[in-house]
Amino acid sequence: MAQEKNPEAKLSHTAAMILQAVDAGFVYGFSIMEMTGLPSGTVYPAMRRLERDDLIRSQWERQSIADAEQRPPRKYYKLTAAGRNTLQSSRRRYPLLERLIPSEEVGSV
Amino acid sequence: MRPPFEVATRLIEATVRILDLGLLHGASLLVPGGQRAEWRREWFAELWQVRRACAFGNRFRWAAEREIAGFCLGAFQDAYCLRRMGQQAGTPLAISFSSAWQCLLFLVAILSAAYGMARLLPGVRAERSMSPYQARSGLVLIENADDDAPARTISSGQYRAWKDQKQEFFDGFAFYRVTREPVDRESALHGSRDSSGWGVARASSNFFVLLGLPVRFRETDAGVDTELPSVVLSENLWKREFGADPHVAGSVVRVGLGRATIAGVAPEGPWGLPGNIDAWLLEPDSQIAPAGAGYVVAHLTNSGKLRMDAPRVPIKSFSPHRTPDDLLGIALGNGIPGEWEIFRFAVFLAFLALPAITSFSLGDFSVSLHRISWLRRFFRWAFLCAKIALLLPIVRYASLDLAYCFTRFNTNQALYIQLVSAFFICLFGMRWVLIDQRQRCPVCLRRVDHPARVGQLSRTFLAWNGTELMCIGGHTLLHIPSLPTSWFSSQRWMLLDPSWEFLFAGTVRE
Repeated sequence: MAQEKNPEAKLSHTAAMILQAVDAGFVYGFSIMEMTGLPSGTVYPAMRRLERDDLIRSQWERQSIADAEQRPPRKYYKLTAAGRNTLQSSRRRYPLLERLIPSEEVGSV
Repeated sequence: MRPPFEVATRLIEATVRILDLGLLHGASLLVPGGQRAEWRREWFAELWQVRRACAFGNRFRWAAEREIAGFCLGAFQDAYCLRRMGQQAGTPLAISFSSAWQCLLFLVAILSAAYGMARLLPGVRAERSMSPYQARSGLVLIENADDDAPARTISSGQYRAWKDQKQEFFDGFAFYRVTREPVDRESALHGSRDSSGWGVARASSNFFVLLGLPVRFRETDAGVDTELPSVVLSENLWKREFGADPHVAGSVVRVGLGRATIAGVAPEGPWGLPGNIDAWLLEPDSQIAPAGAGYVVAHLTNSGKLRMDAPRVPIKSFSPHRTPDDLLGIALGNGIPGEWEIFRFAVFLAFLALPAITSFSLGDFSVSLHRISWLRRFFRWAFLCAKIALLLPIVRYASLDLAYCFTRFNTNQALYIQLVSAFFICLFGMRWVLIDQRQRCPVCLRRVDHPARVGQLSRTFLAWNGTELMCIGGHTLLHIPSLPTSWFSSQRWMLLDPSWEFLFAGTVRE
């Protein structure tokens, strides 16, 4: 596990894309799917593994917010400090990552 | 859009939505129990997002539904991933395997396997499909009770005398004697003549009518030569010699010195009649050899049934020469218990014996302000009832499987195997049901885990010692004393209030 938290740990391109998408503000499962174009069977398991490795953390949206928007509450994901470090090293490994999903882009939240 | 088309579209839409939800629910069964509720919540919320994104006004579109279905199918990969992660981590798998639903699914799987085997085994099918004498009660086989006699047969003269006289206890008699006779037949299957020896019962023409046994394929005998006596084949012979040909009725065979027409096939089953019989040759009484000896089957009148107070009763009779004969009347069919009677008896015995091997108590509760809701109590008892309700058919079918896996009829051996196996499966199955129930958290019905020894055995009478188990969901602690005492005689549940939650971080409280 310690090795997995290492910022230099090598992530797959898919996992790096998901980290980049979360960093770019696409913070729930379906928005990440839409942004990356990856299918649900890839995105959600990848997010489980990222969460297991403490690279992202999940939190349920408050019910009152969801009620106000007349939809079910979402489970939001955000990068941890380890996740941010790992993303930095992944960007060096995959230079096109930032072009695919620009960090400046405002997410769907 | 025309209304019928719109209705059909709405129906399809509703069906597709139900299927989507079904997919998610199905996938959620793969997820370890402790994470399942949250997993479902997330996927249903995401499904809502997907459906909204794919919606195209109010119109139903197959492309959108395909996309949504594809999204739902991805849930299986996610659930499988979580399951694998649980296996690697170790502990959450215990949660998933110990949930109430999985326990019930496990029992349903065993029941399905036992039932499937019972459907396949020919012995069970024969036992369940028919009891040969269910169509007629009050049938008695009359035998000679003289132990010194070479055979327990009755002379044909005696049979004729009984039949000709008015009887108080019997209203019908049939006679048969078994001989080994050569049979010539023209094989419809092979187109050749072959000759073999059959065990032939030369029976009175009323034999099947008296026994109330249906003869199969009899209705196809139109145009058959009625001048010839008829022969009824046994099921075994019909399959063995005639390849189970349904058009066998009407064929002519030579039995011994005479010709006979095949009238049909007798039902398969435990007849309980003496003699190894392949076929019954039905002859008029006038053709029965006067000096022959055979077996007599009689039907009891109402007064006869009242006198028949046991499966075997002695009968006093007088021969045509006015000499007294000691006979024995053996009830046919009534004396053979059915599989249902054996099952009920075995279950009754098992419930009688159950207190000897386990306690009925499900444990006490520690005095606490925190109480279980009525709904939880109801679920707890419903779960226990469901387990027992699934266990009983398992006992029935598994015991039948064991009894009839090597035999085709309800021989005495099969009946004893069924009785013994049903008793033991029910006894130890009920023991497992109660032990399992005692180890399930009364709140979430998961099995408690993480046993810890508390106290010292050497201080039994000074302080409590025993084993403490914990509900993985953080609802309860279970204390099981090492040595039951007057102040702590049985296991005791301690309900945990929300102040304990910090100890169970990461688990889901229901």
